[in-house]
Parts: sequence; C-alpha cells; structure tokens
Amino acid sequence: MLELVNISKKFKQTYAVKNMNMFMERGEIVGLLGPNGAGKSTAISIMSSLVEPTAGEVYFDNRSILKNPTSFRKVAGIVPQEIALYEDLTAEENLRFFGRIYQIKGKQLQKRIEDVLQIIGLADRKKEVVKTYSGGMKRRLNIGVALLHEPELLIMDEPTVGIDAQSRKYILETVKQLNKEMNVTILYTSHYMEEVEYLCNRIYIMDKGNLIAAGTKEEINRILSGEKSIVIKASHLTNPFIYELKTYPLVNSVDVMDKQITVMVSKEVNLFKDLIAMADEANIELISVNIKTPTLEDVFLHLTGRALRD
Amino acid sequence: MIGQIIKKQFLLLWRSPVELLLLLALPVVLIVILGSALGNFMDGDSPGMHAKVAMIEHSSEREQFEKFKRDFETDLGLTEDTVANIEKRLPIQTLKTIFHTKEISKMMELEEISVEEKSKILQEDTYTAVIEVPEDFSYQYLSYILLDRKQAPQLQLYENEEKQLSAGAIQSIIKSFQQQLTLESLLEEKGMDQNEAALSTISVEGQQKNLEQSKPITAKEYYTVGMAVMNALFVASTIGLIAFREKQSFVFARIILANMSKWTYFTGVLCSAVIFSLIQLFVIYGFAWLIFDVSWDDLTAFILITIAFSISVGGITVLLTAISYRMHSETVTNLFSSVIVSILALVGGSFFPIGENVQVIELIGNFTPNGSGMSAYLAILRGESIGKIGNHILFLSVFGFAMIMIAAMTFPKRGRMV
Repeated sequence: MLELVNISKKFKQTYAVKNMNMFMERGEIVGLLGPNGAGKSTAISIMSSLVEPTAGEVYFDNRSILKNPTSFRKVAGIVPQEIALYEDLTAEENLRFFGRIYQIKGKQLQKRIEDVLQIIGLADRKKEVVKTYSGGMKRRLNIGVALLHEPELLIMDEPTVGIDAQSRKYILETVKQLNKEMNVTILYTSHYMEEVEYLCNRIYIMDKGNLIAAGTKEEINRILSGEKSIVIKASHLTNPFIYELKTYPLVNSVDVMDKQITVMVSKEVNLFKDLIAMADEANIELISVNIKTPTLEDVFLHLTGRALRD
Repeated sequence: MIGQIIKKQFLLLWRSPVELLLLLALPVVLIVILGSALGNFMDGDSPGMHAKVAMIEHSSEREQFEKFKRDFETDLGLTEDTVANIEKRLPIQTLKTIFHTKEISKMMELEEISVEEKSKILQEDTYTAVIEVPEDFSYQYLSYILLDRKQAPQLQLYENEEKQLSAGAIQSIIKSFQQQLTLESLLEEKGMDQNEAALSTISVEGQQKNLEQSKPITAKEYYTVGMAVMNALFVASTIGLIAFREKQSFVFARIILANMSKWTYFTGVLCSAVIFSLIQLFVIYGFAWLIFDVSWDDLTAFILITIAFSISVGGITVLLTAISYRMHSETVTNLFSSVIVSILALVGGSFFPIGENVQVIELIGNFTPNGSGMSAYLAILRGESIGKIGNHILFLSVFGFAMIMIAAMTFPKRGRMV
C-alpha cells in the first residue's frame, strides 16, 4: 500500500532522515518508534506529501505520491503531533470547516460530523469551544478531523503526547477499532513503547535519522531472545564499578541511567554472585536486582544505547 | 473554498473580542480624543479665542456727518437719496456692524470707551486691542471719497502684546477695513455702484468665497480619515497573525493535506483582509457620520477610494503572511503592527498634517498607502472632483497588486509547507 524507497532528507548539513526504506500493507497497524529528534516527524511529513525528500521516492499503491500528491491526499488522513485545530471554534465548527475543505457537503457532511463525533466520544461536547477542552479531548478531536473523509490510511504522529491515562486508553481503543472495524491502515508513531507493543503488528525503530530495526514484534524481540536483562538499582554508582561491569567477559552490554544499570547477558549466564562481589569491592549498596526477559524497551536500549524517552 | 476560509476568518475574529475591540472601537475612541483635543488647532476658527476690543471715538460720527452735510451739500449738489446712502455707510458705524456680525461677535466683544478712560485702559491688560478713532475721522473720510482728497484718514490701533494671536486677528480686520475704505473711493471715482461692495458684507463674503473654493476640513473629519486609514493597517497584521498561527499549529498543513491549493488559501487570506478592511472602514465612517456628521458628498469617489485602499491593505496582509511563513516567525508581523504602522501613520499624516509645511514629507506620505488614501479622502471632503483623486486610486491599486505579486513570489513553494 505505502512504500518508502531510500528516502533521505537533508537540512543544511544534517540528515534528518537517511536512506529510509519502509512498507505498509493494507489493514496493518505499523509502529514507528524513536526518541525525540529521531526523524519520525520528518519521515511522516515526507510520506504525507508535505515535504519533498532530498532523495528517494514514496509510493502509494505503486504510484509516486511526490509526483501525484492529490490522489494520495484523498485517501490519507494525517493526525499531526500538534493540536491542529481552531481553539476559538467549537468541535462541530472545526469539523464542519475541515469537512468543507475536504469538499464534503450538505447532509453527507452532517452525517460525517456526527459519525466522527461518536467515534471520538465528543458528541455531547460538540457545541463547546475547543479551548475549554482538556488535552485528551483536543487530541481526540485532532484525530477526528483526520477521519472526516473516511481515509484508507491514517498516519498518526504521537497522538497521545501529554494526555492523561484515561484519554490515552480511549485513543488506543479508537485506533484498534478503526483498524478492526473500518479496515483503516494505520501508521502509529510514538515514544511510548507499550502503546506500540499493544497496537502494532510490525515495528520500525528509528534513531538519528536511520532505521535501525524493523520487523514484527516477535522479530524485534528476537534480537535479544538469547539474552536476559539484569536491572540493578544501587545507592550510588561509581565509574570503576561501571567500568568493571562493562569489561566483565560475560556481559554483552551495559546501560546506565541515574542510579540504575541494565546489564544484558546470555540466558545461561549466572552473574549474581559476581555482581555482589563487585558491588562490595566498590563499596556500593545494592537496593534491588531484577532479572527479566528483554522487552522492546530493552531492545531499543540495546540498539541505540539510550532510553526511548530520553 | 475561498468562502470557507473567509467565513472561518470572520468567525475567529468574532470570537476574539479583544482584537475586534482594537480594530473597531479603538479608532472611534481615537477620533473622539484627537478630534476634540486638537480641534482648536485643526479647525482654524479658534473657538477658544475671546477678545475684548475697546473703541474710543474722539467725536460723534453723527455730528461729523451733519457738519459735512452743512458744509458741502449745496456745493456738491447731493440729492436726498445720495445723502441717505452716505448716511447708511458711514465708516465707524460700518466698522461697528462688522464687529457685531454673528461670526466676529463669537470671538470678539466690542466695547465703546470714553476718551477720558484711554490712558487707563491702555495700562490695563483687560483689552486685546484698542481702536482709536481720530477727531473728524468720518468727516475726513467723506471728504476723501466725495471731495477727492488724496489722503484717506487712518484709524489708530493699540495691540496688547501679551495677546498677540487675538490682537493679530483684530489687526487684520482693521487692515481689511481700511483697504475697503480706499476701494470705496476708487469705486466712487470710477462711477461704480458702491452697493456691490458694501463694507459690512464684503469682508464676510470674502471669507465665504474662500470656503466655496476649498471647503475646510474640520478636526473631526481629519481624524476620522486619519484614524480610519491608520487602523485599517492593523487589519493586515491581525489577519496576517491568524494566518501565521495556522501554520504554526499545523492547521495550514492540514488544509493543504485536504487538497486545497495554497493559492486558494492565499486568495482566502487576501479576500478576508480586503473585506474586513472594507467593513472596518465603513463602520468607522458610519460612526463618524452618525456622531460627527462627517458625510461624503461624492459617494462614488468615497467607495472607490475605500475599495482601492482595502486592496492595498489586502496586499500588505498577504505579504506579511508570506514573509512570516517563509521565515517561520511572526517577528515581521509584530514589527509591522508595533513600529511600521506608527511610522506610516506619522508620515502619512494620521496624527497631524505633517506634510502641510514640508513638501518632501508630503511627497513621501503620498507614497504610503495610508497617506495616499488619506489625501484622497480629504480631497473629496474638500469638495474636489473624482478626477483629482485618480492618481491616489491608481497608486493604491498598483501598490496593492505589487504587494500581492511579491507575496505570491515569497509564499512557500510546494514541498516546503511545514
């Protein structure tokens, strides 16, 4: 359905996106993961036909959207990261304005407005101006506008940023529902790993403009399938202790965050005794040591060397 | 589609009471304040002036006339009618009539003082001027015009130096009066009808003749136009700012993604600005018409100027929009509303007729949209014909279209919409 081939975007001397290859099949929910500044929003702007890439091509149903953006835009709905709404207008007025821009008229427009308000759960608040809404309600309306013209493809750029848990849950359920009941293909970007794990069939991981991993959840998890992670919380950390861990022969990787260290080792390795000894020697008091199966977060940490929300 | 953009723009402005108030109420308040505060200077009628004038007559004019009649009636062979005519136009009596006319009496109060009081009142500060009528003045005057004497008699005027402005006005009345005396003599000499140059009416009619040539602009009229053209420029920054915020909040991108051409959007912004500027100008002028009686005799010319001026406001709006889109910043729009509008208003003459005394500034002012618009509006208020404002209408239209063209060239190209 959608395919990005060797997409690059250069701003002055810096690549925001470099040689990105990606595809989406009809009916999928695909996740695009990456920390802030990874290049997700640039990639989305390119695949939305708003920004022309420095190199590469984007195809929708085998037709270049760069050469022919109009037909693509008719079937694509974009949910920007920003609240792209008129705060001084009501939800209904916003939907009516964008509906008219999408050239939907009369009774058909009225029906679409009502349907969308039902989907996003704002039917009872439709007459209120947007600036009186909570963050979650604004996000829902932001999604609603993109649904007005019944798109086949919905590109959502971090649609749950800065909202409460309840609204977030509502949005995630709406996304699932759109995909399941209306067969909308969805590209979902987020830096909330659990959202992507919950929603997506396939995942792309981006960092510093590069795609660093791609595949189904299982395939991504398999990157660390032969390993386990040991999460250590300590009273304080010292450089010699971290150095000793990093140079320890059985340790595959070490990631340090505040007073917490995540150590990746092979599944069969038992590091517990040695770890206690190293901490004693460095005069470090261990508060907790947890051993767990690697998650997508661990995979991300392993691949990029930093946490997703850094 | 353009209609949707305009409708939305109006809805947004309607929902922003502060911006609406600034665009519609502020100019009205400014007209009231400036029109009242600077009215005295602008109107030129010096309503604040109230001069007291003293007149000292050394002998009765009636007695001088009777004496002249006795001395020369037979020699000159004056008929009864001629004597009656002369009696009606005795100079001091005429001068008093001038001071008692409606226009002059509003500003000057004439008081007859006895000769004994002369030195006393000259010491005092009560009177703005003292007119001293010499002994036999009227006798001399009659001799001058009827006996062909070479020297016309002169009135003596004492001016109060501390009240120079009002004293100057009195001086010019006396000067004009004396010139009139000479003119009468000339008419007499040429055998023309003196009735046509009756003293009392000539000086007043002289003023009225000026009014007909070029109707003076009152302060209320001046500031109605000045504030209207200045505040219309704020329409450009207000709508430009709304448009930039649409870009900032990704609304513009969303509009483009809905397959609206950027030129449709551009035209929508342009039309919104032109229409809102028209509405704003009509509201201000409507208010001025109701409250200050500022009316337009040539309605066609008024509408033409308003449309041309609104096009230039529209041009500025799209240019501000295009630059802010290009720069990803609202700095230019803010600079325009906070600094450039004030400079344009000053040069254009919105605050006071700065170009009246300095020709270069007047020229520069006429090269600003507000200055040119103002000159055109004032010209038709003065009663000038539509043909006289053609250059202003042309300038405003060309300016507007030039702005639109530059804006179109500056507007972000395809593929650079975010």
